[in-house]
Amino acid sequence: MALKASEVKVGDSYSQRLVEDLKRTQIVQYAGSSGDYNPLHSDEKFTTEVAGYPSIFAHGMLTMGMTGKLLTDVVGDGRLTNYGVRFTNQVWPGDTLDATATIVALRRDGDTHIADLEVVTTNQDGKVVVSGQASAKLDP
Amino acid sequence: MAHINPPGLPVERGKVHEFANSIGAEEPLYHDEVAAKAAGLPSVVAPPTYTSTQAFFGEKNAPNMFKELGLDLRYVLHGGQEFYYERPIFAGDILTAEPGETNITTKEGKRGGSMKMVDTFTNYKNQDGELVLRVKNTLLQTAGVVKE
Repeated sequence: MALKASEVKVGDSYSQRLVEDLKRTQIVQYAGSSGDYNPLHSDEKFTTEVAGYPSIFAHGMLTMGMTGKLLTDVVGDGRLTNYGVRFTNQVWPGDTLDATATIVALRRDGDTHIADLEVVTTNQDGKVVVSGQASAKLDP
Repeated sequence: MAHINPPGLPVERGKVHEFANSIGAEEPLYHDEVAAKAAGLPSVVAPPTYTSTQAFFGEKNAPNMFKELGLDLRYVLHGGQEFYYERPIFAGDILTAEPGETNITTKEGKRGGSMKMVDTFTNYKNQDGELVLRVKNTLLQTAGVVKE
C-alpha cells in the first residue's frame, strides 16, 4: 500500500492508538528483541534505588518503533526516505500512547513525489513523548 | 554477561518477526515470507527501526557503550534518533555497521543541570557493499534524574 500524490494534500493527518496500558512485559519483550538490556528498562531495583527514578521506563526506541508503525501503515513499507525523532518525555508502564502524522509539504525530487510529515506521539495526559519528522516516496 | 558476536548484523526472518511483534507491528510483510514474495519482495522486510537489534547482535549494548563513552548509566537518556534510508532492508541481508564520527558537547540544560550530549553516526552497508541506511543517535547525560 502506498499513498498517491494525486490523492493527498498538505494538512492531511492520520492517527493511530499505538498501545493501551503499556505492559512491563512488552518493555521486557523489546529488551529481548533489540538486545538493549540497559537496566533502566528492566531492573526495577536498580532504576528506583540506584538511579532514583519512580519505576523502570520504556526504551525510546520502543516508542519510536511503535510510532513508525503508523508511518508504514500510512505510506507503505520501503517508502520512507528519512524518519527522525526527539524523545521529549519518558514512557512509563501503564501509559497509553496515540500518534498522529500530518503531511506538512508535498514536493518532487526529479520524477519522485515526496511527502514530508510531522509526527507526534502523546500519552494519556496529552504530554508529547516523541516528536519528529519523516519523508516518504509516494506513487504519482 | 557473555556476549559472542556473529560477523555483521544479519537480518533474519525470525528476528524480523520477533522484533515486529515487540513493537506491536502486525504488518504481514514483516511476518509472512509467502505474503512478502507475493508482493514481489525477496523476503520479509525489516521495519524502519530494525537496526536497533544491533545491540542484540553486537557489543554495542548500552552498558558497554556508555562505559566506552565515559557516561554514567544512571543518568543517560536517549535524546533522539534519525534514520536516513537509502534502500529497503530484507531478511537474508547481512549488514555491516561502519561507525562514523562521535560528537560530544556540553550545555546547560533547563531540567537536569549541566547536560552532556553525545551524537554518534553509523552507516550500514549490505552484503553487496551498498549503503542502505545512515543513522544518527543522540544520547543525553543529565546531572541527575530528570524531574518532570
